[in-house]
Amino acid sequence: MTTTTFNKTCFEKLHKSEAWMYTNVSLLAKTEFAFEAVLVDESLIREYDIAPANPLIVLVNGKLNESASRLCDGMTINARHQLEGSVLSRGNSEIPTLDCDTVLIENTGEKTIHILQIVSGDCPTAASGRVLIHAGDSEEVSVAETHVCLDDETHLFMPLTEIIADKNAKVTLVRAIRGSKTAYQLGQLHVSQDHSSNVQTHTITLAGKCSRHEVFAYLDGEEIESNFDGMYMLGENQHVDNHLRIEHNKPRCNSREFYKGILDGNAKSVFTGRIFVREGAVETDAMQTNQNIVLSDNANAISRPQLEIYNDDVACTHGATTGEIDEEAKLYLRSRGIPGDSAETLLMYAFLNESLEDLADDEFRRALTDELLSNMPGGDFIRTL
Amino acid sequence: MTTPLLEIKNLHASVEGNEILKGVSLTVNEGEVHSIMGPNGSGKSTLACVLAGHEAYEVTEGEMYFMGQDLTELDADQRACAGVFLAFQYPVEIPGVSTKFFLKAAVNAMRKYRGEDELDAMDFLDLVEEKATSVSLKTDLLDRGVNEGFSGGEKKRAEIFQMAMLDPKLCVLDETDSGLDIDALKIVSEGVNKLRSEGRGFLVITHYQRLLDHIVPDFVHVLIDGKIIKSGEKDLALELEAGGYAAFENCESGCCCE
Repeated sequence: MTTTTFNKTCFEKLHKSEAWMYTNVSLLAKTEFAFEAVLVDESLIREYDIAPANPLIVLVNGKLNESASRLCDGMTINARHQLEGSVLSRGNSEIPTLDCDTVLIENTGEKTIHILQIVSGDCPTAASGRVLIHAGDSEEVSVAETHVCLDDETHLFMPLTEIIADKNAKVTLVRAIRGSKTAYQLGQLHVSQDHSSNVQTHTITLAGKCSRHEVFAYLDGEEIESNFDGMYMLGENQHVDNHLRIEHNKPRCNSREFYKGILDGNAKSVFTGRIFVREGAVETDAMQTNQNIVLSDNANAISRPQLEIYNDDVACTHGATTGEIDEEAKLYLRSRGIPGDSAETLLMYAFLNESLEDLADDEFRRALTDELLSNMPGGDFIRTL
Repeated sequence: MTTPLLEIKNLHASVEGNEILKGVSLTVNEGEVHSIMGPNGSGKSTLACVLAGHEAYEVTEGEMYFMGQDLTELDADQRACAGVFLAFQYPVEIPGVSTKFFLKAAVNAMRKYRGEDELDAMDFLDLVEEKATSVSLKTDLLDRGVNEGFSGGEKKRAEIFQMAMLDPKLCVLDETDSGLDIDALKIVSEGVNKLRSEGRGFLVITHYQRLLDHIVPDFVHVLIDGKIIKSGEKDLALELEAGGYAAFENCESGCCCE
């Protein structure tokens, strides 16, 4: 049984700082959390086990559930000390972490490794879960994380993922937030990249009451490719805050941030993208895009591009759009016989599917598309096609 | 006497309070190809949009009937299902869904409207293959986002392909020749000509006569300042080409119009 407690008073005043000004989590300071290890019904785990042919690690409330997992070579639990060069200490996240098991992914081969992290309990429960992905020289690693808070409780999940990509390495990471709409998820992702490495991450938020995804990336070698993509589809009072800081520390690196989402009801999205280009990082090419469709008058999208550039030889672009469904496109679909409400659904699906199309892992894409359509007004229409 | 395919009587239409169509009357019977020619700003595209049911355009006066049915009572999607097709001058790009996927939605919506069963996947793909070939459209384009990154010629061919797929009764082509080189123009025209049939009518809207060398119309109408000021047979297009619209613009006072 885990008995750790933590100083949750840190949540009280966070929203008074610039970095958290649109995300108020002060309620968490007043919430009593359990930290118990619980048993989760196997059938529930199977529901989120979307690729039965792939290796799987299941963590429940931050603890390995070995019987539900399919471990393979290259996965180690609690062997963090084996690796030097933590990237975690370089970021300045305010999000605390709790004692939990750490999963180290290293030399796992071609197959996508699935990691299912579940938070469950019959009262508000807090947990962390740590994943460290290390791709050695010229290695390729692909990881798909699913974060699920079960029950209709104010659970708090604080996952922490680190990526270390050595020279010429390639890492693909998909993180999907699924499950209940009552939970808080405050996550961190720390990335360090060496020469000519390629890191692609996708952060997909389809659940949660309040989610904040912090990304800190350090481009420490030359000719690096970094892609940070995100997608969200939220309604009611759901909130998502994507907060990125990309540091270009060496010449000739490309980074791309592409976040898009649809907001209904009173939902709110915040996107903050800080691109930091150091003095010697010449020929930097950094691109940042945040696109939102708002379906209701009370939905709210906030985009904050922040460029901090210390040399002249860079190309940095940023663009943010927020609008309603495109009437011209809708007319085009209607002029082909598709009724108005179906045309709107098709356009919403097209907008978000542009993000899902990029997912290399078929099972993951199918599962997320399915969940997306369940959340989307009129989504069943798309299933018929 | 059979009911005309399209019957427009004294049609007036406005956009944002500006009257663009100022009393258009026109009858298209089954099997006929009519061409509407006119200078920029004469209201050609407005006529196309009004027929298709674009909500930004308000019909303020007059009537339009499609096979005896009052078009103003139908929404854009109902008009399409009834058999009116508009090939857009500027087809919209929709990344994220493929043309195949989108057309499946369209074909099934129309079949549902007509009370028919949905087309199964194999039959649908066979139909796609057949119709794409008829307009020399590479089928791999149809797996890309709708019109996404298509060249001007590909976009227009894709419109004619959609037209072939949806099998409409009345085809309205809004400046389908714009942005096409001579080869693309030929391919698009051949695609259209293959669709000419006894039961189908065409309204070909164009600025230039050259399209009509390939899609030879039965009737030509000259639209100037929101009114058809002259109608005739295909030779009228040649007359226009020789003298330009200016000669006709002056005749609004009535000099050469009977």
